[in-house]
Amino acid sequence: MRSFTSAIIFITGLFLTAHAVYADPLMTPLADKKPAVNFKLQDMDGKIHQLSDYKGQPVIINFWATWCPPCREELPSMNRGWAKIKSDGIAMIAINVGEDEDTVFTFTGDYPIDFTVLLDKSGDVINQWPIKGLPTTFVLDPQGRIVYRAIGGRQWDADELLNRVRALK
Amino acid sequence: MKIKYFSLLIGLLFIQISYAEISKTVLPESGLIEWKLVDNNFELKLVQRLPDQTRSFFEGRGFSKTITRNIANSCVFQTIGRNNSKDKNQTIQVSLKTWFIKINQQRQPIKLKETWDKQWSDEQVKPASRIAFRWATFPTEQSFEPRGDYNWGMISFGPRPGSVFDLYVEWKNNEQKKSAWIKNITCPVNRYQ
Repeated sequence: MRSFTSAIIFITGLFLTAHAVYADPLMTPLADKKPAVNFKLQDMDGKIHQLSDYKGQPVIINFWATWCPPCREELPSMNRGWAKIKSDGIAMIAINVGEDEDTVFTFTGDYPIDFTVLLDKSGDVINQWPIKGLPTTFVLDPQGRIVYRAIGGRQWDADELLNRVRALK
Repeated sequence: MKIKYFSLLIGLLFIQISYAEISKTVLPESGLIEWKLVDNNFELKLVQRLPDQTRSFFEGRGFSKTITRNIANSCVFQTIGRNNSKDKNQTIQVSLKTWFIKINQQRQPIKLKETWDKQWSDEQVKPASRIAFRWATFPTEQSFEPRGDYNWGMISFGPRPGSVFDLYVEWKNNEQKKSAWIKNITCPVNRYQ
């Protein structure tokens, strides 16, 4: 009887452990770590940025649009997150999809963004990335490989999440 | 006897109980109706969009009045899908190609974003408008990973404003096929007509 009870405890333990190991509701780690596709995009001042410019540091890349409700919800938390990490050697980039400077400029009056905003007016860049909906955010390691993905909005000022990005350094 | 109980216990651990809970709520702020389906880790919300809401959204993105009227009168719902699981194996997959509606005893597919897109010429719809349409509508096929993935977007079910239909919803949870019917969904009607 003792061995039967032990077996029940062992199996129940295994079952509970399997459901408790992945208790992080923040980002999806990507096992294949594919290299991110390089891009060349203008910022709000017309300056050209290439993804390859950011090699050697972790990069958070967020795809968004002004009319997307969850994007509007998460952007303030990204701005707060940026204030926490900007001196840690981590880059943060928001790529607006399909809109022009005037639209984004007006939007940032209500939703200030202190980190780099790039404009993918033609949608050519988003089409090359593995994205199904907005917002989608990727975290790249210093080698330029995609290591995390988050589909839908997150609280980007959460230390638990930012520490995972810091750990990539 | 012990072996019997042991086998029973093992069996119970692997049973996936499939029971979708469906609820209907009138949203207090807008008065619009939301239908919500919850099945274990999968959560789906369908929220009515008034035709005027949809029309003004697409007119604001450069679509012509004729096209926006067609979209707006096609029973558009804001749709939010979410995977609430924390278990890495519990990926949720949704393909709108498997969904259909039943109205007046007739089965009809959903009008997918690709179908809309194909019917417009480049003269009718500018590239910027096409981009807005593509990203504002719910993906035809989507995987929701655990740890909080969610997505949202408009789905046009097709019937005219005021119509009532049943919706067949299908999804996969960890490759296991699941389905449910959401009954008596009402296509929104403008308030001042």
